[in-house]
Parts: sequence; structure tokens; C-alpha cells
Amino acid sequence: MTTELKIPEYKLAEEESGKWGMVVDTDLCTGCQACVAACAMENNIPYVGEEDAAYGRSMHWIRTERFWEGEYPEVRMTDYQPMLCQQCGHAPCEPVCPAFATVHSQSEKLNLQVYNRCVGTRYCANNCPYQVRSFNWRDYQDPRLRPEITILANQFNPDVTVRRRGVMEKCTFCIQRIHKAQDLAKSEGREVEDGEFTTACAQACPANAITFGRIDHPETLVSQLAHSSRGVHHLEELGTLPRVTYLKGG
Amino acid sequence: MSKQISRRDFLKLATAGAATTAVLTGCGPASRYVEREPYQRMPEYTYNGLSTYYATACRECAAGCGLVVRTMQGRAIKVEGNANNPVNLGKTCARGQATLQGLYNPDRVENPTRQNRGAALSGDALEWDAAIQIISDALKNTDPAGIAFLMGMAPDHLFDLVSDLAKAIGAPAPLRFGALGMFEARATLGRAAETMLGRSAMPFFDLANADMVLSFGANFLETWLSPVAFTRDFSKMRRGNPKRRGYFIQFEARMSQTASKADEWIPIRPGTEGLVALAIGRLVAELKGGSVPASFSSVDPLEVASTAGIKLETLEHVAQLVVGSQAPLAIPGGAALGQSNGLATAESVLALNALFGNFGIPGGVFLSPLSPNQDAYHRPASAREMTDFIAKMEDGTIKVLFVHGVNPVFELPASLGFAEALATVPQVISFATFPDETALASDYIFPDHHGLESWGYQRVVTGSSQPVLSGAQPVVSPYFNTRATADALIAAAQLAGGKFAEAMPFADEVAFLQGKLAALVGEPDGSFFAPEINTFTAYFQQHGGWWMTAPALSSPSASNALARTVSPGVAEFAGNGEFFFLPFVSPTLADAGANKPWLQELPDPTTTVMWNTWIEMNPQTAQVMGIDNDDVVEIVSEAGRVEAPVYLYPAIRPDVIAMPFGQGHTAYGRFAAGRGTNPADVLGVRFNEAGDLAFAGMKVEVRKTGKKPQVLSRLESRIGVYGEGMGEEH
Repeated sequence: MTTELKIPEYKLAEEESGKWGMVVDTDLCTGCQACVAACAMENNIPYVGEEDAAYGRSMHWIRTERFWEGEYPEVRMTDYQPMLCQQCGHAPCEPVCPAFATVHSQSEKLNLQVYNRCVGTRYCANNCPYQVRSFNWRDYQDPRLRPEITILANQFNPDVTVRRRGVMEKCTFCIQRIHKAQDLAKSEGREVEDGEFTTACAQACPANAITFGRIDHPETLVSQLAHSSRGVHHLEELGTLPRVTYLKGG
Repeated sequence: MSKQISRRDFLKLATAGAATTAVLTGCGPASRYVEREPYQRMPEYTYNGLSTYYATACRECAAGCGLVVRTMQGRAIKVEGNANNPVNLGKTCARGQATLQGLYNPDRVENPTRQNRGAALSGDALEWDAAIQIISDALKNTDPAGIAFLMGMAPDHLFDLVSDLAKAIGAPAPLRFGALGMFEARATLGRAAETMLGRSAMPFFDLANADMVLSFGANFLETWLSPVAFTRDFSKMRRGNPKRRGYFIQFEARMSQTASKADEWIPIRPGTEGLVALAIGRLVAELKGGSVPASFSSVDPLEVASTAGIKLETLEHVAQLVVGSQAPLAIPGGAALGQSNGLATAESVLALNALFGNFGIPGGVFLSPLSPNQDAYHRPASAREMTDFIAKMEDGTIKVLFVHGVNPVFELPASLGFAEALATVPQVISFATFPDETALASDYIFPDHHGLESWGYQRVVTGSSQPVLSGAQPVVSPYFNTRATADALIAAAQLAGGKFAEAMPFADEVAFLQGKLAALVGEPDGSFFAPEINTFTAYFQQHGGWWMTAPALSSPSASNALARTVSPGVAEFAGNGEFFFLPFVSPTLADAGANKPWLQELPDPTTTVMWNTWIEMNPQTAQVMGIDNDDVVEIVSEAGRVEAPVYLYPAIRPDVIAMPFGQGHTAYGRFAAGRGTNPADVLGVRFNEAGDLAFAGMKVEVRKTGKKPQVLSRLESRIGVYGEGMGEEH
């Protein structure tokens, strides 16, 4: 007797559309760092101090980049470009993790970082073309190392894990906010609507340069902006399928 | 009224939920703070996973943005903007976000403390009763003429209380000061508004509706006046109208964060801003073909171009852009006003607006409305007024000095001698929340609550077209043994009895606030209507303030501005050095952010430097002088010297060096003390015609020290200055 093997249909990540998306209008971004501070406050991101920051160990999940063109007096600064995890559909960080700590979420279509799986090989950061992953080189949030944390920790967001030394971390699209909205929607027997919540960075941005929402609905603001003729994806040629669209200025 | 009510009742009243007038009248003083409970004995309303949100006002600067703070189990977790407050409409700046690191700062003053002047924070804690007795004795036993109050630019309710107290006891009116006000040259703006717009008020620049913005040094995307509101308006100017994209030109010697967003940055020589404005005006008037008003016809654009170090074609190009635009707007501000000719510069730029014909029309210049419970516009003290105040400290007029919300030992130029004068004042009582330099130089520190633990209100000076009074309420109970300064003063006055007690007949701070809000009860055109004061106060807490629903901008007359002749000339510069010195307020730290670790770790937007002070220098100049990145140089002015590592900044004039203000604390907690240096140490005592400090009116020498102890921490080292760290090879 032969059994018919049922092999689940395999779908490449890039064939699936994202669920959550973000659009950043660099013509509006003023580089004010409100998003960076908001992200740090929401996600319990540690500060590393002057020396470690000089070694490039700062933990910003989002940073505003700017580059120079030309020399004085014909010098020009490019638009500020907030750089964060692009939540790639085809993420270079994922296949290199030996511990399956960075995986793709089937339900959210996001790149997850599972802190308690991470063993700190840093392969993912090495392979991320956007350089948006940050590694806990020390126990920055341990009161034994930093007595001041005892008081500062009063402010920690109880919805977000505090990470230990040796663990990689990155932008999650504020997944704790996604889950909260989903729980509420579920209890009311409906789907999460666009605009019901937003990420910490988008919420703070005084210039309204960051828009977050349901990219899978064509009617939403974020979808419409993402299809703007000004839209670009960073390092698109690498085939990463980023979920963050940048609107170029001018 | 004195009936104790439970926390649950309190929350019903105070949270942004539905409150009914029936319950509200039970609100008494005893219920005014929320108690923190241990986890084991949770209050009945608390479910794990549910947060409570409180509306309040931000106190990181004086702009008066509304906040909604998420709290959980008695702890403040996250700050968001109050979406209804017309100033910030739900948005916040980085400093507002980091205000929680002030609340839960490990270096707060935890108890009322007897302090040895100039020493580190003493552990000599007092009881509050003893503290109140000391304040009371100081008030009662001093000749009122010898009592002085020095206040910060926020909060306004405390300033009102102290003003009332001072008036009632015959003491001089309190003086307000703040470093941001000094670097904004608010006295100059106010005086220019008086001469050109007809009234001493804060001008309102309708950036959102302009389509061609010429900014003369105004750093409106950084810390200027109301940065969140200006950033929103900038965003609207750029993309608010789908049919046009607003164009923005910045004239200043160094590309600031604001200038980095400009379509054109025109690096003119410092001190020529007024002339450049007039020259553009003349070219515009000529292109339009009308008559050229006297102020403008007196300048020769070719001469101005050469004085400013730019090409005539540049000015002509700007004039053509202006003529081709629908709604041009010129904004004066920042270092352009901190010059010997700052007032005339501000007047020239306002005259340029008059020439554009934009007074009182969308995209133009207005006068900001007064806040709902305000009689007239009161600006903070200018540096010259502070100098007079210092003289009074030195000659012994001031016997007792009360300081709240300001740190002049750090903020004022060292050459003004505030610290030395302070040492001669017989008794100094500080109400500082943090052990800053001024607090440590006091006899007593009677710490006020942090802003998030406080009641109060803040008047909105500009940033909204509606009159706004932002309201503050405690979002958590006080973490340390602190007391509201208003409560301490009320208690002390009552203890002193007589006219003191008569001046302060309030049960507590909230009763005082209710008195100040009483005039708004029954007012029909506001954000909410309440028929009586307790209901009003409860709604005031829920909404985070009270504001008129309709815009109340006033339109100045242009005829006066055009008739007046202004001749700014070129600013005078003090000192013999070869470089213009341009101090600017750090966009991320501002005046008081240095004690918050996350603000320290925010990269400066333009240089990406964190945790330190730097000196910006043009790479070509540095090469000629043999100076490289991170070399420590000494700046020598007529008033002093200061050292810092060099940052080779590509977008600064070769004859200018710039330095951020915000670091260089000798106290103010572990994150601030001993970090970086303070440009105020080299500023000389020079004023402009309006009495503001001519902080950008100096020439300095740059000397090599041969030191290079460390490299500056900068975020760009992670990605490379020109992007070489991104992508392929690295």
C-alpha cells in the first residue's frame, strides 16, 4: 500500500506581499532625532556610553544618515535618511543564522529576532547590507554593571524584553504594538485597521515624514505613498525586497 | 471637600476618559497625588497589561507642547504628544521623548538639603518642615527690597504665583531667564516687533502656508521658539499643498541642521544678514517695477554682495525666485540677531516682509496671540537685564535670592561674573530638581518635583494660531522626597503670617491654579465648556489644557514698517582673532539635556557626534593650519579660552569656527559633569541695541595644543562620511 505524501506548497518569501509597511519621506525628514529617542524609549534600548559609541557599538535601532556631496562652497548635504530594519521580504540576515534566531514571521511577514535563541554569532549583522542590527557587547541594562539602571529601569516598557549581553537586536516594527492592536481587534471580532496604531518613530515624528500601516491594502495611506513616483527602495539591486519605501526629495 | 477619595475615584476624574460633573465636585487636596502601590497589593483597577494615560505639558523647554504619558502601575513608561494640543498636534521632539530619563534620573536632588556652597551635593538632608521654616524666615526677616526671585522660562503658573507674592510683599518682580531665550535673542525679536509691527509681541511666521522661505539665521528646525510646531509647518510648506513644493533658502555662515534642509544654503559673512535682506528687497522691488522704499534704496546690491562674500548673481537669483513665488516669507533669528546690529537686522528682515506685502496674509507675518489667561506679552530677561541683576547682587542690594528652573552659572557667559556675584549674596535658596551648578552654589536646595510629577500650566508664546494654555498634572506620584515649589512657598508664606499669609491664602498649589483658571470658566469659545471651576479643572486635566477653537492672530500694518528707515550696516566684532566665533545651541541637548543619557547618545544631526563637545572648522582652513580631525585646539577670545577637539565640517565658511552649547557642565549629575566644554566660557560682555547678548559678535584665535587624547564618538564612523561603509565592499 502506498501512501500519498502531502508536501506543503512552498512559497518563496518574495512571492508574498508584506502586511505592514513603512514609507519615509526624506524631503520632510529634518534629522531632528525624535524618532531615535522615541524608539529608544519604547523599546528599552540601552545607551552604551561614549567609548563604546566611538567603537561603533551604539544600539540605535533607527538612525538618521546623511552624506556630503562636493566641497565648500559647492558643498551639499543629502537629505537625512532614517535607516532602520527594512523588514526585507528576502532578508540576507535570515539564512545565515545557525540558531534560527532571526526568522521570517509567516503571520506578520516581518523579520523576527528571537532573543533567547540568539547565541551571538553576529553572522546576521555581518550579512545585513543596511547595517541596522546592533549587538549587546555588554550587559548594559544590568544594575551590577550600571547602578543607575535601578532607577532608570522604572521607565522600561513592560511589553518589551530587556536584552542581555551577547544578543543581537534590531527594529521590530514595534511588534508589541502590532500584537496589542491585534489582540484588541480579535476580541472585537475584526481585523486590525490601518491607522489604529503606529510605530513609536512614526508617532513622534514632528515632520510627519514617517508613515506606517497596512501595506497589503491598496487604499491605505502607506500603500498609496509607497507607489509614489518618488519612491525608491534602498539597495534594491540586492534583491532584498525591503518593506520600507523612501520618497526622494526635490 | 476634605473627604478622602480613593485612587479609583481620582482616576475617574483625571484620566482622559469620560468624567461626569456629578463626581467631580468631590475632588479635594488629599486626592491629588496617585499613590504607587507594591505589586503584591495592586489597586483594584489595575490589570496587568493595561496602561493609564495622563495628559500633561512638556517642561523640557518653554514651548508648552502637550503630552500624553503612558503609565503602568504607577510608573511613567512612555511620552507621546497630545494629539489635540494645537501646538504640537500629537508630536514630540527628542527632548520631550527623553524627559522620562529626567524623571527617573539617578542624580536628582532627593531631599531638601543644606548645601555647602560650591561643594558637591551634600547629604545633609532636612525635614520639609525645617525647609519651610527656613523659607518663611527668609521672607519674613528680610527687607522686601532685598528679596529677589530668579525663575526659568517654564513653568508659567509658578512665575505667576511668585509674581503675585512679590507684588504683595513689596519685593521686586521676579526675573526670568533661560539660555534658549538668550540664544534666540527674544528681546531683540520683541523690540523689532514693537518698532516694525506696532506692538511688543512675539511675531508669528506662517511658515506652513509660505512657498518661498528666506531664513536669516533662524534655527527653527532645532530649538528656536517652538521647534515641534515649526517642523510641522516646515513639513506643510514642503508637501502640504500637492500643487507646489515650498522652496527654502537659508543665509548663514555655517550650515546648521535647519540650513541642511534648505534647497539653497548661502554662506554669507556673519554680521551682514541685515544688509543682504535689504539688498534682496531692493532687487525684488526693482524687478517688480514699483518704487523702492528708502531703507532698501540706500543699499547697493553689488557692494552688499562683496561685503557678504557672495556673488551679485546669487542675490539676483534669490530676488527672481521671490518675484516668481506666490507667498514669500523672510524669518530673522538665531545668530543673525546675536550681533551688535542684531536689532537692525531683525528690523531689516521684517521690512523685507513688508516689502513682500505679506503682513497679515496666509504665508506671511502676524503677531502671535496672547495665551488665554495672559494680560500682555512678557519676554524673558535679556543679558543686559541680567547684568543689572548681577550688579544688584554685587552691591549687596539682594539679601536673599530664590532660584527656580534656571542655571545661570552654567548658561550665562562666565565673563558676566554671575558665579562670583552669587557668592556675595548672603542667602541663596535653590528649588532645583537636579544638582546643577547654580544649585550647588546655594545654601539650600529645596527640590521641586520633576515636570511629570507637577501641576501647572504653560502659556504658549508662539507655534499655534490659537490662544493656548497648556495644562500640566502629575502623571505619577513624586519619586523622591521633593515638594512642589508652589506648595513650599504657600506654606512658608502662611507660616510667616501677616501680609505674607494674606498674599497666599490658598490651601495648596491646585487651589492657586483654580484661582488663575477661574476667568476661563463659562467661556464659550474654548476647547471645552465648563460651568463651574471644579468641572473646569477636571476637564483641564483631561484635555491637557484649554485653548480657543478659532485662530486669533493679529495682522500688523505694513505702512509703518516701510516708512521706517533701517540701516543695519555690518556688525562690529570684538577681539582681534582671525576667526568669527559662532556658538549655537546643540539641537539634541539644548540647554538642559546633558543629564539624560539617551540625549547624550543621540548623534548631533549634522556632525553625528555623541557625548562630547567639538569645534567645527572648514577642512581647507584646518589643512592650512595643519589641524586634523580630533586634534584639540584652544579658542582664545578677549574674554577667555576654551579647548575642544576639532571636527572638520565641510559646510562652514573658512573664516568661521562654530561650537555647540549644551555640554561642559561641572555638575548636573554623572552623565553631564566633566563632559565636553562650554562655549559660554569665551563669550564677552557685548550687547546689541535691544540688550541681548551679542554672542555671535566675536573674533577669536585658534591655537593648536598638540593634544589628541581620544577620537570623538560619531555615528558616521559606523557608515562612513561619504557613505563608503554602505553596501558593496565593506
